[in-house]
Amino acid sequence: MVRKSERFPGVEWVGETGAFIKIDDKKCTGCGNCLRVCLGRCFEIENKLARIKSLDECMECAACWYVCGDGAIDFAWPPGGTGYRSDWG
Amino acid sequence: MIEEYDVVVVGAGFAGPVAAKKCAEAGLKTLMLERSENPGEKVISGLTIPIYGFLFGPAFIRDGNPPIERPVDGIKNYVIYDIKAGDIDTVELRIPRPLSPIFAFGYNAYCKPFIAWEVDQAVKAGAELRTSTTAMDVIEEDGRIKGIVTDRGDRIRAKVVINCEGSQGILAVKAGVREKYPPEAISLADTYDYECPREVIDRVFGYTLRFCWGFDEQMIAPPLGHGNGLMSWPYRNSIHWMQDQCLSLDGGQVPNLRKLFDEYHENITTQLPWWRDEIAPSARLRARMWEGFEIFAGLDDRLRNMPNYTDGMILVGDAAGLESTGLCDGVPAAWFSADIAADTAIEAIKANDTSAGFLKRYDRRIKAHPIIQWTITCRGRWDLRKAQESHDRKELRARVDHQFGPGLLTHLGTPLTKSILEWLRKDPTVITKWVRMFLRYYHNWENEGSSRENLPGQPKKRGTLDITLALFDALGKLLSPLTLVVVWLLEPLTVAVNPLTKALHPLIELILSASIKMEPVFRPLTRWISNRVKQADPTIFDATKF
Ligand SMILES: Cc1cc2nc3c(=O)[nH]c(=O)nc-3n(C[C@H](O)[C@H](O)[C@H](O)COP(=O)(O)OP(=O)(O)OC[C@H]3O[C@@H](n4cnc5c(N)ncnc54)[C@H](O)[C@@H]3O)c2cc1C
Ligand code: SF4
Ligand code: SF4
Repeated sequence: MVRKSERFPGVEWVGETGAFIKIDDKKCTGCGNCLRVCLGRCFEIENKLARIKSLDECMECAACWYVCGDGAIDFAWPPGGTGYRSDWG
Repeated sequence: MIEEYDVVVVGAGFAGPVAAKKCAEAGLKTLMLERSENPGEKVISGLTIPIYGFLFGPAFIRDGNPPIERPVDGIKNYVIYDIKAGDIDTVELRIPRPLSPIFAFGYNAYCKPFIAWEVDQAVKAGAELRTSTTAMDVIEEDGRIKGIVTDRGDRIRAKVVINCEGSQGILAVKAGVREKYPPEAISLADTYDYECPREVIDRVFGYTLRFCWGFDEQMIAPPLGHGNGLMSWPYRNSIHWMQDQCLSLDGGQVPNLRKLFDEYHENITTQLPWWRDEIAPSARLRARMWEGFEIFAGLDDRLRNMPNYTDGMILVGDAAGLESTGLCDGVPAAWFSADIAADTAIEAIKANDTSAGFLKRYDRRIKAHPIIQWTITCRGRWDLRKAQESHDRKELRARVDHQFGPGLLTHLGTPLTKSILEWLRKDPTVITKWVRMFLRYYHNWENEGSSRENLPGQPKKRGTLDITLALFDALGKLLSPLTLVVVWLLEPLTVAVNPLTKALHPLIELILSASIKMEPVFRPLTRWISNRVKQADPTIFDATKF
């Protein structure tokens, strides 16, 4: 399975990544930092807590993981061979 | 399933194959793990690899035919005081014609083909490659790392794990080797790739990178984050373009990058005169990607001194925080550290001691490496930030000059001379290899061949260049003893190079700008030299026979 995005040309997303980024509701303070740095618009705030909207346009940059000062984001790489790829990096 | 190797290399990016190749050549059973399906397709970069990476990096790259997109002769900086009024100054640091473009300041490349080429060399040397495989955890026994657990559940035992996983260092953090970097150390780079006809790039850029710096409200790059700017790289038929921003502002606030990057991209592509008038009409956006890099880690004593090794594991390249804050170039340090890590692993396995106590020599060598230490500790880009805030025109220009203009020589001079002398001491004829590298790379580039096998047409007959090179080789060999004496005499004086270039800075600036002005005079000579190299028989550039 290969997906593309109109907003981000030249990139493909392959395979089933599963939920490789997770948010721990107990630790999230709803500060919104992850929303601010995620260019793929993967997060949203619901009931004052961050939630993963979709990882469809995630570039696996880990910016969300870096800026979550409360350690609420659990970041792991998606399974080998899945996720974003590009010929133009 | 349990498997046994001498060395497991995690990550086949810029560093991984360098380490794997060396270990395999030393007869070690070596495995490279890469999480992407095809090596290089998850790596996002600029990318200009500065010349010191090629001169002092792995011999197989220096003496090989890696795929490059364009030789680079230097940087033209646009210092933007008022973009609307067209109040823009320039600061230029570049190698003038007729030396340029053959004697290059660096080489531009796309990550995927370059990394694939490196991986190919490692595999040919006997390293095993396993793609679509993510190293998820380490095997830990008696408090030491004994191998890797993959996402497929395989347990791969290794005497040494060389960890080349890149800047996030997920595995290094999980294994407790180092801490996660704070957002203050990370810059997020928003990267665009534009297709553009070669004639347009030749005319507008030539071989020169274009960087832009401005006061905050000029909206050249997001405003609040430590020496930000816009960098653009000319490739063969495309332009790479990057704006980046530190993830944490003074005071710990996290900027709204989702909004800012779009605003600034729009602003610069519609207002910067040379982009708007000369590039935009014939450029087409081909790709947009982003990636974080740890360009400020080296500036903080604590982060810089975090461990880069433990019992059974060595961290290399970006995983070890070696991304450069100077020119934003992490590839040279990734190559250097991969070479050093492989040497250390080979020695450790031979001595049957892969403990932290033995691997400590890796850290000592990294800390003694003049170029690595310069790239991770020079503050120029960070300090540029102050001038962007202060609105002092002179200050802004001076800061740009210091980091990306002729002022670069006032701090790169000493580490560069040290490295040159060190290499000459090891091999007094290395100059002939360096010269051949410049010629071979240019030849390859002009002939659109990334390897000799791919070159179109038949080899041309030998000529003046061949004879010149033969004379040069003979001279190099003959003068070897003298070279060693000169190196011995000069080595204690290298510390004086920075102060000397500082004292001579106005003169250097004058000479550089005069030689750039003189270029039209050298046009016929430049063309003559370029054609000679372009049409030469490629076998005369072979450096492996020395
Ligand atoms: C936008 C941008 C611009 C840049 N510009 C320049 C420039 O102009 N010049 C320059 O010299 N440098 C530049 N750099 C820096 C340069 O790209 C890095 O320093 C360089 O890629 C580091 O090499 P590395 O081998 O350490 O890591 P990488 O090249 O990032 O390689 C890491 C590899 O490991 C793989 N991997 C990661 N985790 C795992 C795992 N758990 N299991 C298996 N595989 C894994 C990844 O898929 C990747 O292939 C830039 C970086 C960015 C982001
Ligand atoms: S950054 Fe962390 S704490 Fe803040 S909203 Fe996102 S997940 Fe929650
Ligand atoms: S890794 Fe990057 S792109 Fe993916 S969700 Fe986090 S911030 Fe967004």
